[in-house]
Amino acid sequence: MATIREKGYYHWDGRLEARRFPWWPITRTGIQLAFKKKWFKFVFAAGFAPAVVTLVLIYISERLEDFKSMFGGKGQLITVNPKFFMDFLTNGGLVFIIVMVLVFAGAGLIADDLKHNSLQVYFARPLRKNDYLLGKMAVIFFFVLLLTLVPAIVLYIFKLIFAGSFRFVVDYPWLLLSVAGFSAVLTVFFAFYTLLLSALSKNSRYVMIIVFTVYLFSQILYGIINSIRGLHGPGTALVSIYENLLQVAAFLFGQKPPHAVHPGWSFLILAAVCVASAVVLNRKIRGVEVIR
Amino acid sequence: MSIEVSNLSFRYGDIRALDGVSFKLGEGAVGLLGPNGAGKSTLLRILLGFLSPEKGEGTVLGYDIRREQAAIRRAIGYMPEDDCFIAGMDAVTYTAYFGELSGMPRQEAMKRAHEVLFYVGLEESRYRLLDTYSAGMKQRLKMAQALVHDPKLLFLDEPTANLDPQGRVEVLELIGDVASHKDIQVLLSSHILADIETLCASVVILNKGKLAAEGRLEDLRTVDYSLFEVRVKGEDGAFRRDLEALKCRVEETEDRLIKVYMPAGMDRGEIFRAASRTGVQVRQFVKSQTKLEDLFAQVVGVD
Repeated sequence: MATIREKGYYHWDGRLEARRFPWWPITRTGIQLAFKKKWFKFVFAAGFAPAVVTLVLIYISERLEDFKSMFGGKGQLITVNPKFFMDFLTNGGLVFIIVMVLVFAGAGLIADDLKHNSLQVYFARPLRKNDYLLGKMAVIFFFVLLLTLVPAIVLYIFKLIFAGSFRFVVDYPWLLLSVAGFSAVLTVFFAFYTLLLSALSKNSRYVMIIVFTVYLFSQILYGIINSIRGLHGPGTALVSIYENLLQVAAFLFGQKPPHAVHPGWSFLILAAVCVASAVVLNRKIRGVEVIR
Repeated sequence: MSIEVSNLSFRYGDIRALDGVSFKLGEGAVGLLGPNGAGKSTLLRILLGFLSPEKGEGTVLGYDIRREQAAIRRAIGYMPEDDCFIAGMDAVTYTAYFGELSGMPRQEAMKRAHEVLFYVGLEESRYRLLDTYSAGMKQRLKMAQALVHDPKLLFLDEPTANLDPQGRVEVLELIGDVASHKDIQVLLSSHILADIETLCASVVILNKGKLAAEGRLEDLRTVDYSLFEVRVKGEDGAFRRDLEALKCRVEETEDRLIKVYMPAGMDRGEIFRAASRTGVQVRQFVKSQTKLEDLFAQVVGVD
């Protein structure tokens, strides 16, 4: 029977252990806090809509005989191939919803800790800067991978189930690697992008606006530059986050890039954002604010 | 020894924050005192491993401050001066969260969070969002997160700052209880001398980055000087100058009470001889218990 204790201080009789993954409580808490936000659940649920639509398309492609009347008797209307999976992962709607998820779940990850002076309490624990950052990044990894890699793998499995054979695997043995590779690029880029902006301000609402605006503005800027005679050219796509992601996706899925620029430039630009983010995070994240 | 530092130095750019500080702290509650800019916070930050000292060595609970920071942080509890919480969390989740980050198993951390929140008096509001907490409740919460993993040493940075008188008394009682009965050593940094005097048996006084005094309050009060309170009849100007010539520090309060800080080893009869020489009559002569305020003024050189 448990001892009934009086109100007072008691020593804890357990033993403190060095954790194998010290960042995990930070990640778990970050995910829980995101789901407590007002609109987050709706936005996150909406992120699965492209996957549901794509699943229906895969079903139709495999049961074309049943749906011929709907498409006026046309033959191969939907082809499930690497481009099909690339189109799913680079779908403008899906990327937009991912950005919205970052707005709700990612903007406050560091900004709130800066605002409420929590860093000193974190670093008064046996926690390294890398553990803290990894814990915060893993929150973004969780949400972005759940909207990209996980549905893509589920779609791949359903394609095999609907087809009833492994011919698709034999035809495109590298497809899963492409899916994993692009999901990883998307996830790592958006993790650095969000944490960079989150570390630049103590106001998470301001960061929410910036996360959304920078993504949207880069696309608008590309549209403006592209429409100006004289400035128009394939290189202008490099100013847009979304167009750079399209270029990288085309390279990883073995497709023709949408713009006549080597995808290596897009890789470099996305990597530069990640490096800039790492530098800023290294300077901003510390247990104590040192004013010289 | 709980804390031992030797020749510790640190600078922020051109500003020298700590300059060759050495001391050893034993058991019990220790006060860390000093005027603004004396280096108190810098010292705490170095002991916590937030800052790396430019020179010098040190250990906290036997762990090296340069090489074993993780072990130090696992063994100590830190209550910072600033408000620090996580928006959208309640007190139980917050306290358990930091227990877990200290290395406690999740379920144990949650159980322990309830216990320490009861202990600090937040049992009624432990499920309330932290965003709605008052200043006093936030102080208690900071204390709870510092205690959740049952530390051996507690660093308290200005624990009574921004509290109303009643809140201050309650937090002091709590610290007093931890320091006196719970086998937890406490290092208390505060501007409020009365708090230190109430809670601490020993003090470390820093001034301009250097160690100004260190030791047990009782010893510091008696070893360096004795304080006498004297009232005289007659013109006291010459009397005071005479005592100052004998290397005594003399202060006069508004109600004409003369405080004489007499160097160690000096005969108290000198006060009567000075009175006789300058023609004043001693009407009151009391050996006073020196307050921390007096000691602070003496070693830091401010009134």
